[in-house]
Amino acid sequence: MKINRELLHAYLDDLLSETETARIERELRSSPALREQLRKLIGERERGDHSLGSIWRRHRLSCPTREQLGSYLLGALDEGWQDYVQFHLQTVACPYCLANLADLQTLQREAQPRVQARRRRFFESSAGYLKTIISTPK
Amino acid sequence: MTAESDRLLISQIRRGDANAWTTLIARYEGRLLAFVDRRLGDRAASEDVVQETFIGFLNSLPNYDDRRDLQTYLFTIASHKVTDYLRRVGRHPLQIGSDSVNELLDNQLDPKPAASSLARSRERLELEVEAVRRSLGPLIRTWQERGEFLRVKVLELLLVRGWSNREVADFLGIKDQQVANIRFAALKKLADTIREVGLPPDVFPELHAEDGPNPVDDT
Repeated sequence: MKINRELLHAYLDDLLSETETARIERELRSSPALREQLRKLIGERERGDHSLGSIWRRHRLSCPTREQLGSYLLGALDEGWQDYVQFHLQTVACPYCLANLADLQTLQREAQPRVQARRRRFFESSAGYLKTIISTPK
Repeated sequence: MTAESDRLLISQIRRGDANAWTTLIARYEGRLLAFVDRRLGDRAASEDVVQETFIGFLNSLPNYDDRRDLQTYLFTIASHKVTDYLRRVGRHPLQIGSDSVNELLDNQLDPKPAASSLARSRERLELEVEAVRRSLGPLIRTWQERGEFLRVKVLELLLVRGWSNREVADFLGIKDQQVANIRFAALKKLADTIREVGLPPDVFPELHAEDGPNPVDDT
């Protein structure tokens, strides 16, 4: 599928995968017309313009719940939902739902000690900030 | 996980409850890590970015509105941290170095900064976002609940992927006319909401970007 305006919005929002990003950057190197399109888009965004697609993506207007993604993995959704979730993941390539799905798949196979060690590291590096919250008026 | 459960967790964290903070990390770190790593493709860097995301969340907690969806909020912070990281290492689209896209743009970016009188205010942007959420959000959820997934797919491909009516029709194996009708029905609802909240009708160019047949009454 050709690179269009919405894909460029997602590119500028850093919401594409490494592969998609690399494809766009390859195309930008070879296409003056695409560079011009990107230049215009950057100008519009600087003026505060935003697209319906970017609002839809950011506010996740059509995303299935995490529970539905779990059921999708088990093949336990009804046919309509199963097909839609597959479309949302594969065709729309929703980065948030792909992340949730990857996480659910990882949980099934990643060794618990490794997960625990990572969580401990996140906690230890941030726990000091909890004290500042208590003293910060809301 | 329910929004109510998240709200309870947040109120405990606001009181400095370390166990609640541990629970929140356990609940969200995996999906955040997967989200960041999909973009960076570097596990160690991704873990650092997730760490910064959690710190960023705690720093922003005094201003966090409990009515916001926590997961979406965390993903938003993670997105910003990814962008910060890519800028730091010179990989962000707008700041890439020597043989970069930025150089290829050849400093063609408009040298004049946007005049403040032309730029939209924050309040105006929020009003626009709210109009889209209020009109399209319930419509999409209703279609999903009724099992009318074809309509959701059509609108998602048009607006989120930016495909043309023809591309959508070809991909889904339906007629251009059907795509045009679904587009018209959704965008009319949005246009009505935009009018109700007093925004100008030309606020979103997509509302007027018809590239296919005119809609017809198919009821």
